[in-house]
Amino acid sequence: MSKILIKLLKSPWVIIGATIVITIMFFFVMKDNSRMETDLNKYMPAANPAFIYSDKAEQIFGIKDGIIVAVENQDGIFNTETLDTLKQLTKALQKMKQINKDDVTSLYTADNIVGGEDGLDVKRFYKRVPKTQAKLDTLRKNVRSNEMVYGRMVSENEKVAIVVAEIGDDVFSQEFYYEILDLAKRFQTDKIKIHVAGRPIVEGEMALLGPKDMKKMVPIVILVIALVLFLILRSVKSTLLTLGVVFFSTIWAFGLMALLKIPIYAVSTMIPVMLIAIGVAYSVHLYNHLQLFINQNPEATKNEAVVDMIKAMWKPVMMAAVTTAVGFISLLTSQVYPIKYFGLFTAFGVAVAWILSVIFIPAGIMAFGLPKRRQVKERNDNDSFLYKFADKVLKRKSLTIIITAVIVVLSIFGMQKIWINSSFLDKFEKDSDIVMTDKFINENFGGTTMLNLILDAGKNPDAFKNPKLLSLTDEMQKKVVKDLKVVGNSFSLADFIDRMNKVMHADNDKFNTIPDSKNMIAQYLLLYEMSGDPENLNKVVNYDYTKLNVTFQLKSDNSKAINSALAILKTYEKDFKKYGVTMNYAGSGYKGLVFTDLILEGQVMSLILSLLIVVLLLALMFKSFKAGLLGSVPIVITALISFGIMGFLNIPLNTTTALLSSIAVGIGIDYAVHFIEQYKNYAKETNHNMLLTAKKTMSNSGRAIIYNAIVVIVGFMVLLFSVFPPNRELGALVSLNMFTSFAGTLTILLVLLSITKMYSKKDKEKK
Amino acid sequence: MKNLKITSVLIILAMISGFNVSAQLTGLQIIEKVYNRPTGNDQSSNLTMTLINAQGKQRVRKLTQYLTDNGTLEKKIMFFTAPADVKGTSFMNWSYSNGKPDDQWIYLPALKKIKRISSDSKGDYFMGSDFTYDDLGDRHPSQDTHKLLREETVNGVKCYVVQSIPKDEDYMYSKTITWINKATFIGVKKEFYDEDGDLLKIMHVNSSKKINGIIVVTKITMQNKQKNHKTIMSLSNVKINSGIPETKFTERMMMRGI
Repeated sequence: MSKILIKLLKSPWVIIGATIVITIMFFFVMKDNSRMETDLNKYMPAANPAFIYSDKAEQIFGIKDGIIVAVENQDGIFNTETLDTLKQLTKALQKMKQINKDDVTSLYTADNIVGGEDGLDVKRFYKRVPKTQAKLDTLRKNVRSNEMVYGRMVSENEKVAIVVAEIGDDVFSQEFYYEILDLAKRFQTDKIKIHVAGRPIVEGEMALLGPKDMKKMVPIVILVIALVLFLILRSVKSTLLTLGVVFFSTIWAFGLMALLKIPIYAVSTMIPVMLIAIGVAYSVHLYNHLQLFINQNPEATKNEAVVDMIKAMWKPVMMAAVTTAVGFISLLTSQVYPIKYFGLFTAFGVAVAWILSVIFIPAGIMAFGLPKRRQVKERNDNDSFLYKFADKVLKRKSLTIIITAVIVVLSIFGMQKIWINSSFLDKFEKDSDIVMTDKFINENFGGTTMLNLILDAGKNPDAFKNPKLLSLTDEMQKKVVKDLKVVGNSFSLADFIDRMNKVMHADNDKFNTIPDSKNMIAQYLLLYEMSGDPENLNKVVNYDYTKLNVTFQLKSDNSKAINSALAILKTYEKDFKKYGVTMNYAGSGYKGLVFTDLILEGQVMSLILSLLIVVLLLALMFKSFKAGLLGSVPIVITALISFGIMGFLNIPLNTTTALLSSIAVGIGIDYAVHFIEQYKNYAKETNHNMLLTAKKTMSNSGRAIIYNAIVVIVGFMVLLFSVFPPNRELGALVSLNMFTSFAGTLTILLVLLSITKMYSKKDKEKK
Repeated sequence: MKNLKITSVLIILAMISGFNVSAQLTGLQIIEKVYNRPTGNDQSSNLTMTLINAQGKQRVRKLTQYLTDNGTLEKKIMFFTAPADVKGTSFMNWSYSNGKPDDQWIYLPALKKIKRISSDSKGDYFMGSDFTYDDLGDRHPSQDTHKLLREETVNGVKCYVVQSIPKDEDYMYSKTITWINKATFIGVKKEFYDEDGDLLKIMHVNSSKKINGIIVVTKITMQNKQKNHKTIMSLSNVKINSGIPETKFTERMMMRGI
């Protein structure tokens, strides 16, 4: 291997040229074919049973996410001006080409079915905007006495009314979002405020804001990294070559993605982050060795220096790259395609970064000359900080072990507090418009998050005309709404029957219940079909009355809220089972919950898998199982601390933070590989003087590791200034992982190497 | 000789004018002919209504219906016979030609009560079907502006194709296009366009039958293209002018049943 690499040194320009040509090719492929995937449904594993059921239910009942446009007037909504705004807004939304006319509902579109002693009156609440006080008062009275709209379409304080526009999954785009916002703004007056909320808005904002923020932040990150790299390498050439490796590998990864027609998912935007953190390391280690060689051999030619660098470093760099790539490839076990792709293309990028590090950097040095010899004071090795540090660490082995143990225990304790969050809204700034609007609507209405419970009676037609089943459903709905503050409202076929029963008994509230005759229910349903809009029924019950859609409105989309509702619903499982009815769930809120669980489950699985593989690979490379186990210690500690701190700081696990454990493996293992490799070499060189070996390793490899860590930590600290909270968390956690990886390698790994007498004379003799 | 000449000129003129009359039949005249086609004074039949949703699932409803029309008032009474859980439910509709809103009653046997229904919308769909009350009733030709678009052969039947645009801008359809059998003046096919001008529904007449000298449409399909929903109505046991007494159309009959 090193022979090939050395041979390649003879034609540096060919290599540089080829690299640049390939990069340009990939760049154009990327430019022409890259596509950002914003449809969140495309992220879900369609073959998962939970999703299959949910998709089917969504189709049967037409369950769609709704954009909520709220009309607020502090003087109350029952005046001509506000009611007219509500009407015009409803009509404007109905006219938008992305929205089906029938999918827009408001007080203006709603039917009011009112019962009298001998009659039944089906009327719109208003068609022409009422102008006289008497008419306004009648409207107010009608709204107050209709549970189907009061508190649902009009807030109970009568200051807010909403228009809900349900849209298909594939409709949302940036233009559409701006169109809606424009529309809202047009209707705004001094007195009337318009708010826009709803899951499509939140999802859309997130899909747009995250990558947009990344686009802004990544150049700054790179700039800062370049600056720190320069301060460490003291050479513009070396800095540029190092950045080139990272930059090219990123383009190749995205170019390949575009070539294979795979769209860019939100998680894919983390690939550059990963490649920067990992790719920089190879060059830093190479240059560190080169610098050391030049310092020790001031007379050496550039050829000699580069050949020495390749000979000494090709193996540890390869081992580091292979172990890292394998760590990412283990993500292929995930059920979620975006994550699979993330793992695959990051692994590819890592491989590219490695190859370029050992081909392109030497070629660059051959072409542009060696970096300047660093003007360092003649080092008295024994006085150097790292020598002393190694000395101190080895003299206080038990202290290192105790501190590590305490940190591990604390981390494990902290991990207990970790919670999973599938919320989209929690990803936004607490005082952002989107969060404030959501809060406002949740305060005035049932809730912006929908949880759909699907009651399924299998192949038992007319099951849901059974009064007992409907009563049970009614009871369950009431209990969930009463017990949970976070559940504001619920809606099902039972509500229709309650309402019809009341209407047919002259609006007597005593009859706001489910009647106990099946025929009565069937006849009410028929009557509703004849007098109301049958489409409304199709949203709550399927054609042969075997499936019921019960909707719960939640005031929060976080996992704790959804799970608390699910917990109460599950207590009814037994009761429904008696009637042969099973419970299933549907809708975007539920799918988000399942999706997050899937990602995390996959993440934990692949973390364990990659750890096992890495241990095996290390054992194979160092031909020692012990080395494999020791090498994995910094990774395990890094992962534990990462999760522990998330627990203590109440940072929930979500898709972004979960993926970060991959970085712990990717980086942690590199440090350990370099450290062990050098430790092994110096042991041989010093004839198994273990203290000197430790000192030399610390001075050489340790320095590279510290430099590498500093570069990436400082670079990622920049993300702390991001406007998108998940990107801030990302920056903080990457920095943290880098820090613990390097600290763990330089302390506990060294101590363990020493205690277990790796590569000492005894160790050698045993073999 | 002179007389003969005059006569022949007159005959030729008459022929020409006669030709002209049939060639120049306007959209309005065609629709008026359809509207004025005799339908009999009363009719009774068994109606089977099959609703088919987008997933292909069906709801089948069977009714027995009676109808009488004295020119100014059309009375209709319908009794559900299936499915079993709504059997005995009855519905009565009085429709006035002077533009007065319809009177409607419903009787639910489980409740044992008759309720008057007042609805402000004639655009309501009829019993959850794809037909509105308006689609089923006769819309007076004067309510629309008609235009003969072309003549066309549909399934071997020569048809007029007439476009009708409502004079009332707020009407639920922006326009309809009707294919009318040139020989019988019975509609063969009709397209309904929504407020935005998009095709909403297509109605097909599947079969018709001559009973007591009057042509009766016995099977008709309405398909909502936007919702992918379909309704098939078929009539059996049709009787025309059998002399249904006025007393059939009362609240008492609604409660008593067929």
